[in-house]
Amino acid sequence: MRGHPWKGALVLVLVAAGLGAGSSSASAAPVAVSLCAVPGTATMAGGASVPIWGFAATCANPGLPGPVLTATVGDTVTVTVTNALPAGHDVTFEVPGIDFAAGPDSAPPGGTVTRTFTASAPGTYLYQSGGDAGRQVAMGLYGALIVRPATAGQAYPSADSAYDVEAPLVLSAIDPAFNAAPETFDLHSYRATYWLINGKSYPDTAPGITAAGGQRLLLRYLNAGYDNTTMSLLGMHARVVARDARPVDGDAEVAAETIPAGATEDVIATVPAGAGPSSHGFPLYNRQQHVTNGDQTGVSPAPASGGGMLIFIHH
Amino acid sequence: MRFTAVLLLVVTLCLASPGRANAIPADAPPTGMVCTPGAVSGATHTFDLVAETGYIDTPDGNSVFMWSYGEAGGHFQSPGPVLCVTQGQTVVVNLTNNLPEPASIVFPGQDAPVTASGGAAGLLTTEAAASGGTVQYSFVAGSPGTYLYESGSDIAKQIEMGLYGALIVRPAAGPALAYGTSTAFDPSREYLLLLSEIDSDLHHAVETGTAYDVNARRDRYFAVNGREFPDTIQDNGSGLLPNQPYGALVRIQPTTPTTAPALIRMINVGALNHPFHPHGNHTTQIAQDGRLLPVPTEHFGETIASGQTVDFLLRWDDQDNWDPTTKPLPVPPPNYRDVFFKDANTWYGGSPYLGHKGILPSGVVTQNICGEWYFPWHSHALNEFTNYDQGFGGMATLLRVDPPGGCFAAPATATPLGSVLKSGTVAGLAADDTTYYAVNPRTTTRPTATTTAQTSITVASATGFPAAPGYYARIDNEVVRVTAGAGTTTWTVQRGQLGTTAATHASGAVVTALATDFTAGFTGVPAGSQHLKVTYKGANCATTTAATCTALTTNLPQQTVKICDWTVGGAAGCSTATSAGWVTLPAPPAQPQGVGSTDVGATWTLPASAQYISAGQVKVLVHTERYTSPSPAAFSTWGNLLALTYDAP
Ligand SMILES: [Cu+2]
Repeated sequence: MRGHPWKGALVLVLVAAGLGAGSSSASAAPVAVSLCAVPGTATMAGGASVPIWGFAATCANPGLPGPVLTATVGDTVTVTVTNALPAGHDVTFEVPGIDFAAGPDSAPPGGTVTRTFTASAPGTYLYQSGGDAGRQVAMGLYGALIVRPATAGQAYPSADSAYDVEAPLVLSAIDPAFNAAPETFDLHSYRATYWLINGKSYPDTAPGITAAGGQRLLLRYLNAGYDNTTMSLLGMHARVVARDARPVDGDAEVAAETIPAGATEDVIATVPAGAGPSSHGFPLYNRQQHVTNGDQTGVSPAPASGGGMLIFIHH
Repeated sequence: MRFTAVLLLVVTLCLASPGRANAIPADAPPTGMVCTPGAVSGATHTFDLVAETGYIDTPDGNSVFMWSYGEAGGHFQSPGPVLCVTQGQTVVVNLTNNLPEPASIVFPGQDAPVTASGGAAGLLTTEAAASGGTVQYSFVAGSPGTYLYESGSDIAKQIEMGLYGALIVRPAAGPALAYGTSTAFDPSREYLLLLSEIDSDLHHAVETGTAYDVNARRDRYFAVNGREFPDTIQDNGSGLLPNQPYGALVRIQPTTPTTAPALIRMINVGALNHPFHPHGNHTTQIAQDGRLLPVPTEHFGETIASGQTVDFLLRWDDQDNWDPTTKPLPVPPPNYRDVFFKDANTWYGGSPYLGHKGILPSGVVTQNICGEWYFPWHSHALNEFTNYDQGFGGMATLLRVDPPGGCFAAPATATPLGSVLKSGTVAGLAADDTTYYAVNPRTTTRPTATTTAQTSITVASATGFPAAPGYYARIDNEVVRVTAGAGTTTWTVQRGQLGTTAATHASGAVVTALATDFTAGFTGVPAGSQHLKVTYKGANCATTTAATCTALTTNLPQQTVKICDWTVGGAAGCSTATSAGWVTLPAPPAQPQGVGSTDVGATWTLPASAQYISAGQVKVLVHTERYTSPSPAAFSTWGNLLALTYDAP
């Protein structure tokens, strides 16, 4: 398992046994990982506890998002998913962009499904459960799958994807009213009030992402939310190296970039040596101003916002 | 387009605002991006800004409470001032915060450190305290490009309330490049389109101190440069919109071999991603977020995401090259949907020919000046194409394509003045073709015989001859000069002029003027039009009778084209060929010109235009004379083309 360079509890990192960045295509071997879709709770910024359905390595204490899975190109990966959801909710394990070997894709409650694929193309992939027409994703059944190229320290085979520090950033949203009643909630009235990066909203995204001046920071965006999300990065541009796990021709330098719902995008920023605009560092935040934690009932001039999808990059 | 009630409200607000009458310089051009000058000292460019409250007007008559940045001591404006700086300058922004809560500025896309002094640490950046606090930001302007600046405090509320503006970094190489040498553009055609949205309920809650939930935003107004359509197409600094100084009409002329493209700088300061598309045209995207794209891309519609900037180069090619003369119908006319804007309230000119007006469909009222084209350019999220749910409106403007060289006008009237119509009608002057408007010199007769010494002669009629003395006339092959009695039928004459010899003439001899004059009148020229150009092309032919132009290649008639200066004597000042109001069109080319039986064409440009336009009228005189021996024979003047081009306001 590769050491993760960001500090603290930014993300629930649980790399499955047998998978890891240390492997290479030369040593590719059949590897196996287990996931369990299971009800649990997540604590929102401000302390509210919200019911979730999430993935976990064992059928307890699911994370939001699920564990980060990593594989190396050439690996044959077998994912066994156990369904510990309530009755009536089949789990369908899917990873857009990954072709699984033929076989069942769903597990009934109490059952398991095993899906196998060969990690053929490096990149950032979003895994999720396709069950219940999106309600399972909205409840939290999503996570990141990273397929690494043979060359360590790169996101893709191309040398211009080399990086010093990486951070997967799973973007999502929560409407607590939906989570309280996922089976009966009228989705026409869905109105998210928590906006999450790796399951947390600011200030719980602290201490953020640590990178020294001059280091190349790889941000792997995965949009598990329901809307196209534009992230604004203050104090630096980032170079778009891939979208949906495919390298792009002619890298664009961006300061505000839209990640469509369900899509992934990899960008690399060289962290400036100087100070960021904030005493916390360089803000990376949802430019659609989804920076709230729960309902806002304030009266101006009290602040309406100051949480949500915001994280700081700092030296 | 706006109602009196709105105007009155605007005036009231204007009086309530301190400082200047408008937020932009009085000499700002009517269209195009307007920079706020700031103060330049050495390599430092300083802007003193204030965060303050004010109101904007919407086309449906609403008035919306806004927060905005403005120039300190200046007029409230929305959006904030356009800050134009040069790469490498040290930019200093002094912010005074007159809002009731801490406020700040962040500069997305500026990768050099932004240093703050004063103020207090906030979440995203250093803030100025509420109600009069200050903070100073400084940074070295980085790579050339289009950027925004905006609040870094309580952004879900403050950006929505209007705390945003444009920051333009120009390359050190000069203002005619957007980025590098591949991005040359015409600096007179540099446009900014800044997109934003407004939930007026939120603004009302902020104004009245009532509760609001930014998660429940529902935007009702969608703006370009702080205005909603149709206000977007009003001029920069329009007195109708004193707090919204920036127009969004984009004007362009068709591409020529020497044309540089227009530059369209787009910024989305709103929270929503806006799909913005021009009808009937593609634009070339060259940059995003102030960085050149590795490969330019062509777009018919492009989504400008929240917080993004995108730059486009725009050329306009009349790909079908419709021309009523050289490429007449049938050619595919433009899709009506592309050039209509709203039924019965359209800018459609009724003709598929750029620069020509035609017959309008039944029930359509046009605001088209001279056959220019208007293409809608709008958010294709059609709920944003509204003003409070009523369409059309909102996030839309127009792309106006002016005819090559400007608006073109053909004469509406042509009148012989001191001459007689030989053949043709005013239509003969409309195009460079084979139809002509031809005049002969005025003639009359001597009722009695003439002796060689006689100096007082009578004529059958003086009509059409000059009313003032000093002109020449021909009797048979002798030229006489009229020294008195002009305007009457009894003339005092000097005999044997211009190298001819006094001779006897039989009773009934024909008396012929030695000059031809005709005037042509143009109508519908808008007040405020600029850069008037008069084009005349024509010939002089050796006889007054032949149906085709007989050769005239020596001792050429001398032609002078004049324009009526209405300020000299009004219409009366140009009533006769020798009236005082006629002004010889200034060189180049110099006048008079010798013009024989081969068409000669020339275009004269007037440096100033106002005195030549009166109630939409422009009047031109073509005067041609041939006095000199040995050939005083009468000639005819054949006008082929008489045209006026101008830049309509
Ligand atoms: Cu359209």
